[in-house]
Amino acid sequence: MLQVENLAAGYGKVKVLHEISLRVEEGMLVTLIGSNGAGKTTTLRALSGMIKPESGHVRISGEEITGMPSHEIARRGLAHSPEGRRVFPVLSVEDNLIMGAFTRLTGSRPKGDVKADLARMFELFPRLAERRQQQAGTLSGGEQQMLAMARALMLSPKVLLLDEPSMGLAPKLVEEVFATITRLKAARVTMLLVEQFAAAALEVADFGYVLENGRISASGSAASLKVDPAVRAAYLGTAHG
Amino acid sequence: MSFDYLTLAQLVVSGISVGMIYGVIAFGYQLTFATSSTLNFGQGEALMLGSVFGYTVVTQIGLYFGLPILWSYILMLPFVLAFGMLQGAVVERLGVRRAIKTKSEAGWIMATIALGIIFKNLAENIWGRDTFPFPSPLSDNAIQVMGVRILPMELLIVFGAIALMAAIELFNRRSIYGKAVVATAADIGAAGLMGVNTAQVITFSYALSSMTAAFAGVLVAPVTLTGAGLGGALGLKAFAVAIIGGLTSGIGVVVGGVLLGITDRLTGYYISSGYQDVPGLVILLLVLSFKPSGLFGRRAIKKV
Repeated sequence: MLQVENLAAGYGKVKVLHEISLRVEEGMLVTLIGSNGAGKTTTLRALSGMIKPESGHVRISGEEITGMPSHEIARRGLAHSPEGRRVFPVLSVEDNLIMGAFTRLTGSRPKGDVKADLARMFELFPRLAERRQQQAGTLSGGEQQMLAMARALMLSPKVLLLDEPSMGLAPKLVEEVFATITRLKAARVTMLLVEQFAAAALEVADFGYVLENGRISASGSAASLKVDPAVRAAYLGTAHG
Repeated sequence: MSFDYLTLAQLVVSGISVGMIYGVIAFGYQLTFATSSTLNFGQGEALMLGSVFGYTVVTQIGLYFGLPILWSYILMLPFVLAFGMLQGAVVERLGVRRAIKTKSEAGWIMATIALGIIFKNLAENIWGRDTFPFPSPLSDNAIQVMGVRILPMELLIVFGAIALMAAIELFNRRSIYGKAVVATAADIGAAGLMGVNTAQVITFSYALSSMTAAFAGVLVAPVTLTGAGLGGALGLKAFAVAIIGGLTSGIGVVVGGVLLGITDRLTGYYISSGYQDVPGLVILLLVLSFKPSGLFGRRAIKKV
């Protein structure tokens, strides 16, 4: 579904990613773990067109999307729930979700049933239903995270990129976010999940990549990475057994 | 000698109508500032072009179809609105887009001023340097309300200005494309992720901005005069209004515009018509010194 080959990217003269390659197959939940500054967010930004890759290839269903502006990439079915949530604070919760379906409502992606999907989002995130008419800027951090995920899902994407959905949330909310990700996985949503909570991410994922200083240092099934001594020492800590 | 309240009321009424014009132009400044943090400093010339172009259309329609002036005026409006949109899109493409791309802080300022001067010269060559009357679609006979004389055209200015701003607000709130404009204004990167072509949204906001100016041009022309020199002072006054009202608050520009319109008129009458333009600029300086985000705005402007 999503193929990345030798992708290099950075900011100005600062190179962050050094030719990384990864794949996300249809219906799979793939996680990209690594420490702060390893290049996880940069990877997602390069995939969704928020920054222009320097070299390499990105393909969705075989179609080359490298170097396209982000709206063109969105129109090809890639949704990105970005770092910092970035909901539209002045728009209502509902209007944020409608903006998520912008490509479908304006004819650049198959329309499907937007109303039904809206109802499904409110079912998946009951708290958003309660706050439907509220301005998104007035939501709590956890609610904004739910909204950012729901908004990305409204694109009915081929691939969903999730950037640190647990960031800054209380432990109970982190659990809730991961429960939601598990439900999306059961619904066969194709996802690439970037996480600092490596243990939790490997728990839900099918496959994982470890990013270190802008290079993929390890990859494998989530089950095998969980027991990999090097990964355990660096990212899981011994306590997580 | 007792104070003449009737004259005061008269000045306030005419101040309100000219103030609505300032407000509508300032509203146009807000539209582009919201999406791109840039302004069209040729906004006054956009108004002037709309006005002289509208004059030509209205007289041509009158000539060919022999319609009453009110009908020619109404038929002229869609042409002027379309012309304004086109003119604004041209300004954005030629003067602003490159500057935004290269993150040039001053580029768009110089470019929009330069384009304004070019448009003015162009208009001088086509329509001449002199002012000329614009046919009034409504009667020139004033209505008397408690002794205050109000021109029907002054009422049309107030209602037309409010209707235009309300229509744009409604578009932003209700339509999916309007929501895309609001989303772009809130977070341009996130709007791109939704599939919104944000560069196009910025062009569109320039088109809409010049459209409001062109509309203001044909609203104001029947009570003033029109001509290639119409833009300069109005554009500057409206800029003052945008700063006073805040570049982010929709209601602020209406209040600011009316405030400035009334002070203009009062100064012109009670002090000297030579000083008519001074108080507005003094208010501008005071607001910039003490409340740089404007009386109603939240965000400080740093680039202007």
